[in-house]
Amino acid sequence: MKSNRVGSGIIKAIIYLFLILVSVIYIVPLVWVFMVSFKTNAEIFTSPFALPESFYLDNFTFAWTAGKLGIATLNSFIVCAVTLIISMVIGSMAAFAIGRLRWKLAKPCMTYFLIGMMIPVHCVMIPLFTRFARMGLSNSLVGLMIPYVTFSLPVTIFIMTGFFESMPNELIESACIDGASIYKTFFSIALPLSRTGLFVTGLMTFVANWNELLLAMVFISDDTKKTLPVSLSKFVGPYNTNYSQMFAAIIIAIIPTVVVYCIFSNQIVDGLTAGAVKG
Amino acid sequence: MDKMLRDKKAIIIFITPAFLLFTFILFIPICQSVYYSFCEYKGLTAPQFIGLTNYRNMLKDKSLGFALKNSLFFLIFSCVSQLIMGLFLAALLTNINKGRNLFKNIIYLPCVLSSTALGLLWMFIFSPKLGINQLLAQFGIEGPLWLMDTSGFIILPMWIIAFVALWQYVGQSMMLYMAQISGISKSLYEASYIDGCNKFKSFIHITLPLIRPMVATAMSLNAIGSLKFFDLIYNMTEGGPNHRTEVLATHLYTQGFKYNKYGYASAIGVILIVLCLLVTGLINRFVKTENYEM
Repeated sequence: MKSNRVGSGIIKAIIYLFLILVSVIYIVPLVWVFMVSFKTNAEIFTSPFALPESFYLDNFTFAWTAGKLGIATLNSFIVCAVTLIISMVIGSMAAFAIGRLRWKLAKPCMTYFLIGMMIPVHCVMIPLFTRFARMGLSNSLVGLMIPYVTFSLPVTIFIMTGFFESMPNELIESACIDGASIYKTFFSIALPLSRTGLFVTGLMTFVANWNELLLAMVFISDDTKKTLPVSLSKFVGPYNTNYSQMFAAIIIAIIPTVVVYCIFSNQIVDGLTAGAVKG
Repeated sequence: MDKMLRDKKAIIIFITPAFLLFTFILFIPICQSVYYSFCEYKGLTAPQFIGLTNYRNMLKDKSLGFALKNSLFFLIFSCVSQLIMGLFLAALLTNINKGRNLFKNIIYLPCVLSSTALGLLWMFIFSPKLGINQLLAQFGIEGPLWLMDTSGFIILPMWIIAFVALWQYVGQSMMLYMAQISGISKSLYEASYIDGCNKFKSFIHITLPLIRPMVATAMSLNAIGSLKFFDLIYNMTEGGPNHRTEVLATHLYTQGFKYNKYGYASAIGVILIVLCLLVTGLINRFVKTENYEM
């Protein structure tokens, strides 16, 4: 028995060693970028792996202003927040109709929405782009929000339908007996009770749109309207030679997410996983 | 009660916004895209029907060959590697108690970060003068040009990108498998230990069969994700050197929005949709099984 315990102790130790090694692979690149972003351009080549000599903040101010990352962060935030709210409202309305209201076409309608999960954005980009250009919607944040909302809908509808279906019937019934209209039932009973679902879908929507690059790159050419991934990708290009500024730009782009993630990591990981499990 | 839930007006009000958006932004554009793929269309003049010419041109397009090869490589690599690494990490993490959350959160972190930023980060790590090559130089070794090598059937940059993608997204698969594994009842394992199984055997005979439905889900997610794959490649190599790391998505982007060949790009898009539907169908047909009672 004792040798068995020693054996399992060794196995545990190996597991921990391996996991620590994996974590190092995850953390070291981020730490390296963080350190380099405080160095001057010359320092990167003379002492690549030492700690920065002084905290040289000019890199950040340059990337923030000249790299237009400041305005890009704001744009990204506006786009994502508006998209989040609209897609949640529209999506949960549709989910309520599918999951709770009684009509014949509910199932086919659900299938129709679910097909959207399998379609890559790339395939609809060209028709959308030409049409939006004709309608004057290209090069505007609204033109970006519309497809973002649409592509967030399948997941939102799918998850929210599950939530509404599993809601006990008595709740809706009692609201009905108390004389609430169907709209009132939806907004003041069904929605508040499915907060978990809203949190999960909201999280998925926000993360996906915050990081979206392709559509934003195609639809927006005006520097002051670009979103964060696009501005970053443009600033850190082959024509820039100041490495430390580029590193600072990368840090600016990921630091908000990292901070939020560090605070709420458990909720975020569980929420996103719950979403993907159901999706 | 029943009458309220059958209220036609309410149903229409609830479903219409989503339905309209979906139809106009997704369904009609897909149909248009299929139509454009049979057209000569450069954006300035109206599309002109030219039959299968776009598809015939594909056979002559050398970079499309690279793109298709790379996309398929990527699809297979990410399905297999994510399955193995994801399961492996999930199995390790469910076997330890202390620090499980910490490791889990660290490995999941890149999933929520922008793949643009991470792509650029790895581009620097593998760039000729920085990162790994600086580290190698400390030991007096001159590192290779990681992202510019073009020898071999699957070239070095593609392998690097594939591993970076694995690094970034393995957390997702790991979490899916962990969620499924932690749902398996402990009594099954206890019974197997009494019957003389060791941990490894019970993993093979209990865990693996029971998480098979999740394997299908995770694999479909990986497969679609890897076909859509754009951000990392665009930021790490931009499809270069000489179109050798192009995938379908980057090729579509260059053809459509750099050279304004909308018709040809639409044809690539159609191939992408067909691949997506095909792969999901295949995975659901061969990997998916019914949920066991747990």
